[in-house]
Amino acid sequence: MATAAHHAPVTDKTELPVERSDIGLVRPDRTTGLLDWLTTVDHKKIGILYGAFAMFFFLVGGVEALAIRTQLAKPNNDFISAPMYNQMFTMHGTTMIFLGVMPLSAAFFNFLVPLQIGARDVAFPRLNAFSLWTFVFGAFALNVSWVFEFGHLQGWFNNYEWYSKLVYKDFAPANGWFSYAPLSGTFGQADAALHAQRFTGVGTDFWIIGIQILGVASLAASFNFIVTIFNMRAPGMTMMRLPVFTWMTLVTAFLIILAFPAITVALIELMFDRQFGANFFNPTNGGQPILWQHLFWIFGHPEVYILVLPAMGIVSEILPTFSRKALFGYPIIVFSGAVIGFLGFAVWSHHMFTTGLGPVPTAAFSLLTMAIAVPTGVKIFNWVGTIWGGQVRFTPPMVLSLGFIWMFMCGGFSGIMHSSAPADSQQQDTYFVVAHFHYVLLGGVLLGLMAGLYFWFPKIFGRMPNAAIAYIASAMVIFGFNLAFGPMHYLGLTGMPRRTHTYQTGYGWEQWNFIATIGAYILGLGVFLAFANLVWTAWRGKRAEMDPWDGRTLEWSLPSPVPAYNFAQTPVVTTRDAWFEHKHGGARIGALADGGPEGVHMPSQSWMPLLAAVGFLMVGLGIPMMSMGIPHLGWLVIAGLSVLILGIWLWAIEGPGGYHLKTPSAKTVTPTPTASVHA
Amino acid sequence: MSDSAAAPTSTGIDHKKLIMWLFLASDCMFFGTLISTHLLYRKLYPTGFTDAEGHVRFVQNLFDIELTSFSTFILLMSSFLMALAVSAMHKGQIASFRRNVLGVILFGLIFLGCQVYEFTHFYHKGLTIQNSVFGSTFYVLTGTHGTHVAIGVLWLILLYFYSFTGKLRGHIGALDVEIAGLYWHFVDIVWIIIFTVVYLVEYLGPNGIWGSAAATIAP
Repeated sequence: MATAAHHAPVTDKTELPVERSDIGLVRPDRTTGLLDWLTTVDHKKIGILYGAFAMFFFLVGGVEALAIRTQLAKPNNDFISAPMYNQMFTMHGTTMIFLGVMPLSAAFFNFLVPLQIGARDVAFPRLNAFSLWTFVFGAFALNVSWVFEFGHLQGWFNNYEWYSKLVYKDFAPANGWFSYAPLSGTFGQADAALHAQRFTGVGTDFWIIGIQILGVASLAASFNFIVTIFNMRAPGMTMMRLPVFTWMTLVTAFLIILAFPAITVALIELMFDRQFGANFFNPTNGGQPILWQHLFWIFGHPEVYILVLPAMGIVSEILPTFSRKALFGYPIIVFSGAVIGFLGFAVWSHHMFTTGLGPVPTAAFSLLTMAIAVPTGVKIFNWVGTIWGGQVRFTPPMVLSLGFIWMFMCGGFSGIMHSSAPADSQQQDTYFVVAHFHYVLLGGVLLGLMAGLYFWFPKIFGRMPNAAIAYIASAMVIFGFNLAFGPMHYLGLTGMPRRTHTYQTGYGWEQWNFIATIGAYILGLGVFLAFANLVWTAWRGKRAEMDPWDGRTLEWSLPSPVPAYNFAQTPVVTTRDAWFEHKHGGARIGALADGGPEGVHMPSQSWMPLLAAVGFLMVGLGIPMMSMGIPHLGWLVIAGLSVLILGIWLWAIEGPGGYHLKTPSAKTVTPTPTASVHA
Repeated sequence: MSDSAAAPTSTGIDHKKLIMWLFLASDCMFFGTLISTHLLYRKLYPTGFTDAEGHVRFVQNLFDIELTSFSTFILLMSSFLMALAVSAMHKGQIASFRRNVLGVILFGLIFLGCQVYEFTHFYHKGLTIQNSVFGSTFYVLTGTHGTHVAIGVLWLILLYFYSFTGKLRGHIGALDVEIAGLYWHFVDIVWIIIFTVVYLVEYLGPNGIWGSAAATIAP
């Protein structure tokens, strides 16, 4: 419990004596700079950190992609070796999905959801910090494999006994992003040290533990967001008045909590195979490698919708704003999103048509895959209906959103082609599939997320990104993307296999591969330019007004950047698009009589989420290094688990803490050129 | 724990209780996947497993159903005591809460002890994680459940000692105990399912549900 002094409302925490937690430790509340960022529980700062790390890993994954495309630019190329190529495409896929798209979506969840529902924070602020740092350390553990790979190439380990005993010396993951067994698993009888023989090096162990830790981060964040959205809506913010982005966050969070357990179990089973000689996927003792495919895709297909639904939510906010019309068919869009989430669990075997499921399951999964195109198509028609007859402004976010619709549709069309099992068996593992999912994930998701970044950046940092650079970057991204991935349809249909290190001359693939590589470089430069523009804006950009786009939802009713307490008074809404209606003569936003000189309750910062996450980092480094055969590393794993338990225990008993922050009184809050909020 | 536990919520359900329900939904999928793995392999390889000497062993002859029934009963009774502890906490009867929660801890430890005995016993009968698919799925499934019970026991021990600081009281204290109870009941229900589909079905009919365990063949 906070001491009595902490109940006095203040304008700044430094007016209070040092706050001690229930266990007597000083809470890290009055620091600035690095300590503030490490211990923050503010959803806005956590969102910014998520976004910064995600953009960094987008660039890492982009460099890996360019290495792949450079290797494939001409036949019989030797720019990178075949083992390095395997590591590049594995880490490219893993990085883009788990360290790029998912955390960037999480950045939007964090920053926007509380603002859009009229709340002052998420339901569990410290759990939110724990999600962030667990993600960061999981990403770190995964990428430490590159350090070992580099050391291996440099010959750092040549004098070590454990190094000379390793059969396979690929240190970064090299199995592809879905790590199919038996390649990722074991064969033969386990020896006295409980180890069966492996097909791959310790890169797979880095992959297993890295994805496991990232899964914990996603699960914790999703529990938090579901509770936040259900429980912390402002008065009058019924479920069917929620902004569509918040709705898609809710559906995505449900997908995560129901899909991630399948991959968690699959990873545990694979880890037991590799570390303790179990037989889940070991064919020698009757393990069935195909079980891995089923478990992976039961997670993996909902994962596709986990990636795309947030981008759909973002686009559903941007199109109405720049068409100056309410979203066409709001309930249908929401319902379609929920149906996509539901059907997403029923189509996993369309990734496995060539495994010989038999005619009945193949037909069933074909039909369901065709069915899931219906709610997606419904959404596209609703977006077009939103633009129709609107006063369209072609701002950078709008251009990127329109690019999203167009490119995502192209990806959807090739997806429909895959739903036909006979066609799919020809396209399986060719560049046609690569073209398809890049149209969905890059032309779709990345364009949507970039649109979101350019749309909300003025709100996040109070500064407006340079529009001219944004247009140039958008054009480069859309043009370069189509130049890179359009030809891959042709390459795939003419038989170029996926994940091939190189190819011979004479198949007619030279020209289109070369063009695809040029496209990839234009795309890479475009993404870099778009991100560089944003980073520069965050520090030096022109000041933005609080509501530069004539926004529709509650976040635009707040000053930019948003104050720590978000809403000086809790808003009371009576309609969808409450802020737009309020400004333009519709229903007005009311306010509760909270805040003001009485103050609002603010949570205190804490070291404990970071401490618990450090435990995961130690486990994440310990298990792969133990797997390499480096002596005594088992102790690092045990120490890591102890730190994790200690962190959670101290977190539980330190108490939530908190203090009361005064907010501006109702007269001065949220000034607007067209209307006063609380008139 | 929740930083705004006492604040009113849109649904009327407390944050902590809602997040625990969501966690349990997720955990259902977790155990569902593990149990499915076990049953799929059980159907595929109905005969059982081969021990270190190369003898085929049948699951019916491995299990000690009397012992497992006893530990199942103990776990069920621990859920009853947990319900009493939650009820006592809601009435503010802290001494009664402590008595009942000590009982839950004790019963949980007995269950874990039975599991440790069972694992050792099976290991000596020749079942290891390494020598068969059955060994892998059985030990990992029941071991994961045992880990859940152990976490629950640790949680209740911490709650027990926390109650002596005087901070476990009122609405929030009762809520903290209630969500620990939700977790405990869930772990218990999962065991009922495991006991049924992993243990009991092996005894359905003379050859077990998988048409396997020729009970007439000596182990």
